[in-house]
Amino acid sequence: MSTQDVVNAGGDALAARKPTGNGVFSTVADYLRGPWCIAIYTWREGIRKKTLMGFLILSLLVIFGSTFLSAFLDPSAESDMELKLIKDICVTTISIFGVLITIFISASVVPNESENKVIYTVLSKPVRRVQYLLGKFLGVQFIIIVNLALMGGLFFIALYLRQWVLPTLLLWSILLTYFEFLIISAFTFAISCAATSSVLPTIGGLFIYITGTLTEYLKDVEVRSGQSGEFFDEMIGWLAYGLRNVLPNLQHFSLKMQILDRAPNDPPTDVLIPHLMAYGLIYAVSGFIMAYLIFRRKEL
Amino acid sequence: MKRYPHIMLFAALVASLAVGSVQGCHLRHLREAEAFYRWLLAAATHERLFRDDAGEFSDKELFDTVARKIESDIADWEVEDDQADEDVSTLSRVAGDRRHDHALWNYARGRTLKEERRRFLQLARERKLSYARDIDYAEAQAGGVNLFNLFFGFRKVAANFVWIQVDRYWHQGMMYRMIPLMKTCVLLDPNFIDAYLLGAWHLSYNATAKMPDTPPALKRWHPKYQVCLGEKELYYYLAIDFLKDGISKNPRNYKLYFDLGFAVYKNKLSDYPNAIRYLREAVRQPHDRWVPRQLYICMELNGQYAEALAGWQDYVKRFPGTDIAQEVGPRFIQRNTALIYELRAEEAFAAAAAATDPQEAEARRQEAYDYEQRAIQIWTEMKEPYAEYRLARLHALHLTEENRYMEAVAMLDKARWENPANFDDASDLMIEIKLRGGLPLSVSEKKAVLRREAGDICQGMPEDIRRQRLEEAKAAGVQHDPELLESLE
Repeated sequence: MSTQDVVNAGGDALAARKPTGNGVFSTVADYLRGPWCIAIYTWREGIRKKTLMGFLILSLLVIFGSTFLSAFLDPSAESDMELKLIKDICVTTISIFGVLITIFISASVVPNESENKVIYTVLSKPVRRVQYLLGKFLGVQFIIIVNLALMGGLFFIALYLRQWVLPTLLLWSILLTYFEFLIISAFTFAISCAATSSVLPTIGGLFIYITGTLTEYLKDVEVRSGQSGEFFDEMIGWLAYGLRNVLPNLQHFSLKMQILDRAPNDPPTDVLIPHLMAYGLIYAVSGFIMAYLIFRRKEL
Repeated sequence: MKRYPHIMLFAALVASLAVGSVQGCHLRHLREAEAFYRWLLAAATHERLFRDDAGEFSDKELFDTVARKIESDIADWEVEDDQADEDVSTLSRVAGDRRHDHALWNYARGRTLKEERRRFLQLARERKLSYARDIDYAEAQAGGVNLFNLFFGFRKVAANFVWIQVDRYWHQGMMYRMIPLMKTCVLLDPNFIDAYLLGAWHLSYNATAKMPDTPPALKRWHPKYQVCLGEKELYYYLAIDFLKDGISKNPRNYKLYFDLGFAVYKNKLSDYPNAIRYLREAVRQPHDRWVPRQLYICMELNGQYAEALAGWQDYVKRFPGTDIAQEVGPRFIQRNTALIYELRAEEAFAAAAAATDPQEAEARRQEAYDYEQRAIQIWTEMKEPYAEYRLARLHALHLTEENRYMEAVAMLDKARWENPANFDDASDLMIEIKLRGGLPLSVSEKKAVLRREAGDICQGMPEDIRRQRLEEAKAAGVQHDPELLESLE
């Protein structure tokens, strides 16, 4: 973020404190104007990051290249194999690079500002810490959404050019992917609020992703615990039970893969999709509250 | 509370995590219900279609409990084109009709089957359900390192790369390496329909392309399939197993039923009753237009002319503007109509021969001639090779009735070379006429008779089955050559 940007952000935020009208709506609008300005500047700053651009270009290349992988298959066999290959590779690419982008950006926005001392300039303006955090978090979400839209858009075009039918199910898949990223992003963001550099939150973000994917293992731990009858053994079982219920389970979002190859014997997905969206939002709120709890007492 | 904002925030954090936990439990319930629903469909498909297959159906106990519990609720549900056996449960019948999928899904996630759902998860955890092994969530319940969490859920991509390797082996001609890899591929992605279809095609067509048909004397009894098989024929049954595995995991995909019925049972094994069985299932799922056409053709080949005729008439009515409805459909309608007349004529001739009253016998004979004339009229109008063959066949049968065996054989010999598609049918009839007229058989005809005699028994056959088949053959009038039987022992 350039010095001028910081001054502008602070100035806009200051302007945001001035009441513009009456009523609840205008109060909320006034309150959100500051975070909105910070979000916009976070987004501008984010899209300039070279590492992020590197991930994005790499993912776009893989998505584009997936169409050529079908050259390895036998052209005489009349099948939908090529289409399946493109779908699976693209969804996986979006998931892997999307997660990397999400973790990288969520882990770096706050620590980088601490390192650059920019945070002092912004917080010296009449901006509350919660507004600052909200702005940063929204900015991160904009970056994730834009990246996801770019990757999803290319995937959409690749699929459309193959089958000449609008792949509408892909939109649902991308939407679910975003809500999965929202959870990872919120908790990585919370860790980043406690850190002074982006290394620890990045590792933490990867850890969240891996544990979130393997939460079902805790059921196994729970079932196997207590066999010796010792208190410590049983306690592990209770702990596994508690963690399994409290930790977000990212495997629920595997529907994003399943939905693309929708088989006629699949149960209706319209039940699961709204529940998954709500699940993502609830854990995002938890992550944000956790971030604020850490950040509000942080000495700057 | 303003004095203690951190308590408020902490309470909000705990509350949001609690709400998240509740939502997580709800999602888990839905996923458990989804796994249970998929298992119900797979187990119902097994009971309806594959229960005669060898091997133990370990899921039976739980499936029967579920079937009994909802029996009264679903007893009056209508099932479209139900061809299942009498002793199949109502649940299996209902699960065969995709119109009831939503209702079954509601049962799977509802309170009625709560206890069975819990039991299902427990059995899946203990790996005691064979049809739960490839359902993601059920598989994950078993714990340990499993395919569910391998590759962090990206197993479908791994399946694609394995398939590319299968494809490479095919081009290199390494068929034996392909089979385990194909199985790995569908293990990684049980919904990989093309892998099932292409895999079965490789097994039944490409693997056997350069193999000669196994002579009956070299065939061996296969205990799993309960048939006599050579190396070539064994591949057909491996393809059948592969497709049946696919059907169990994807019971609503018509392509798997179609390939099993058409590509393997009809084209490779000429087993028309089984071909009809699976093509009928394919038609019950959302399907392409060629599927019912193949079903009607198989019905005709199996001698179910009336059903084939009704099918073609319905097809022409449903798709009136298409080329098939305008050109192909009417030909098949004529063809099946003529075949029905031929059949009726045959029945009337038989009734005439059996009648004791001369007047009735004469009336039956007239009826038979009448039907025959109608058939001849249709065949004459059709002017196509098959119609010409049928005319020649009818003519030959007439000559046989007049004891003009040599002329009948000559007529069929000419017809079979002019219509190679009916070569086997004409050859069989020639042998029959020669045997009836006491004419000498050629060397190839003698071999054909021997093949027919030894067709049902082979080396390694259990004694009880061997004895039973010999008795059946004796009852049907087939005389076994003692030397041949000895060689098979």
